[in-house]
Amino acid sequence: MAIINRTASSLTSPFDVQANVDGVVQVVSPTLPLSYNSSLQFQNEVEIRAQQIASEIIKAQARQSQIAASGRVFTRFDVSTDVIENQKTYVTTGLFSGNAASISAMYTGSMQSSGSKQYYYEIFNNTSATAEPQFSIAWGHQYGSGSSAAGTLNDSPSRAIYSQYKLLLLEPGDTTFTFGNGENSTEIYALNFNRARIKDKLDPGNWQLSVAELRGGSYPNNSFTGSNVTVANSNKVISLIDDSGQTQQTNLTSAGRVYNIVSGSITGGVYNATAPKYYGLVYPDMGIMIFNGNAFDASASFNSVTGSNIAGDNAWKLFTSISGAMSLNASTNAFQARNEETVTSTHYFVRIKNGEYNFSNNPSFVTGSVGEFAQPTFIGDPKVYITTIGMYNDRQELLAVAKLSQPVQKSFNNEALVKVKLDF
Amino acid sequence: MGYLNNSTITVDAILTKKGRELLARGKDEFKITQFSLADDEIDYDLWNPAHPLGSDYYGIIIENMPLVEATADESNVMRYKLVTLPKKTARIPVISVPQSSITLTSPGQTFVITPTTTNFASGNATLGYTAILSNSDVATLQVATPVAAGVSPTVPRFIGDAEAAQTISAVGFSFNIVAKQQLVSDVSATITIIGNETGGRSTINLTVKKTQLATALATSITNAND
Repeated sequence: MAIINRTASSLTSPFDVQANVDGVVQVVSPTLPLSYNSSLQFQNEVEIRAQQIASEIIKAQARQSQIAASGRVFTRFDVSTDVIENQKTYVTTGLFSGNAASISAMYTGSMQSSGSKQYYYEIFNNTSATAEPQFSIAWGHQYGSGSSAAGTLNDSPSRAIYSQYKLLLLEPGDTTFTFGNGENSTEIYALNFNRARIKDKLDPGNWQLSVAELRGGSYPNNSFTGSNVTVANSNKVISLIDDSGQTQQTNLTSAGRVYNIVSGSITGGVYNATAPKYYGLVYPDMGIMIFNGNAFDASASFNSVTGSNIAGDNAWKLFTSISGAMSLNASTNAFQARNEETVTSTHYFVRIKNGEYNFSNNPSFVTGSVGEFAQPTFIGDPKVYITTIGMYNDRQELLAVAKLSQPVQKSFNNEALVKVKLDF
Repeated sequence: MGYLNNSTITVDAILTKKGRELLARGKDEFKITQFSLADDEIDYDLWNPAHPLGSDYYGIIIENMPLVEATADESNVMRYKLVTLPKKTARIPVISVPQSSITLTSPGQTFVITPTTTNFASGNATLGYTAILSNSDVATLQVATPVAAGVSPTVPRFIGDAEAAQTISAVGFSFNIVAKQQLVSDVSATITIIGNETGGRSTINLTVKKTQLATALATSITNAND
């Protein structure tokens, strides 16, 4: 209810009177000029002005009531009480396609070029035409070992991969990944979740990855590649999780939070929590896992090829190890993970008073062409059902729409309060 | 003793196409300021005042009905708006236009549409009506009698994408429809009149005839052999 605006030039008496449509009259500028010596004259001025204001109030109220009485299909929100903006909700769902919480089989793509496979393998959830990429795996070496360099060692894909993740994840000036046990490693395996899968971030503490032991111990380093890379007969599987549940203080870096990857399980927690076995680092805000190649070599016989200018195809070993574990036991060795998304919402409280919205323009509400109620019992006691709430801007453009799960009856005997949640 | 239901109904809203368009333009363009209610999907013929279990069950079949999800197409939702009217209202305000169809035969021909609201004294007398012409290639839509200055009328829209590009609307108490020249064939469109206060609407078919152009005939044909 805005106060009626009047300019200073419209002030005709020393006592200016302002009023709002609620009928509250305010007397302002109580400065009495010298010319007003007669109190009677002054009183008359005030009375005349008060009558003018009263007339304005009556006109405004009549107009408001006329609008209300002649029907209304829109109601304005009171921004101070009906609208709550920027409500943040953290939503976690299964990370894999279709919001699946786990994946128990994985495939590389035949459409991926051999050139890009020197850098990474893209992993799909199935082999159908509707398969979607889930994550990528790559091998990196600080000095370019383990992959073929097209010319010099500086052109090695493994060097490019290591440098890429170094710049993405490490602090400026830090050139080597350092793992939980203090080990600096020049060779890494990287697992990078697809953006569509990860949404905002990986949900730390709620992922579990199993890797199977390979036959690396049976081959010389430079020849453990290609078809030689298979799962060992030992059927040994290492289950990996992060230690976010054990950590009291989160390690924050320029790449966001970082936790150690350790052996353990979601249900059982970190294995040997007092002296865990460290396998890598997970950056949940980036959706990236970095595994220590040395750790996999030692515990899972990856025997990562580290010869210079040799196409070791080490990334294929991580693929074989993960998919091999799934093959050993699709249930317990499935790759489980959840993503996390911050949903920003605005809540609108739709308040419908008992006297509002009790009639309908629905064609079945009336009969004939003159607007008679189809149901005679509605005369004096109409009943309507709310099914849809439309949200409009000032130009009456329908911006959002909400449907109720079931019709809600509205009549003069009840009121309704509906909270409409609009996510952005 | 049972518990009273004091719960707040919470529903999720989805953006319409227009909402997405405005949101893409920027946060300032996307500003929800008001709401409206509708009873799409409800068939009041299902109201059964003869229900053997009594008055609490008159509308039970409606109340138990599942509703379909919202669609993002604003032309398919909010079709039948609920309206606030005095309790003693015995008839729903009806938007009436004397003509159910208009045919204009020549370019520039003008027809005046003056909608009225029956069953309700002074219905739409303040905010007037919104006229929506579905195809601006057919005619122009002008306001003959505007609403009072300073009045912010409501402008309901039920126009779909196909028409949106060519749809024009105006707000007033009466409207001039001026035919445009049609060179190819007769062209039809619809004019939807919506009460800005009561929410009812009426639709008129508009046809503009193909313009008959005069052809200059040769007065004589000369045969070269003559």
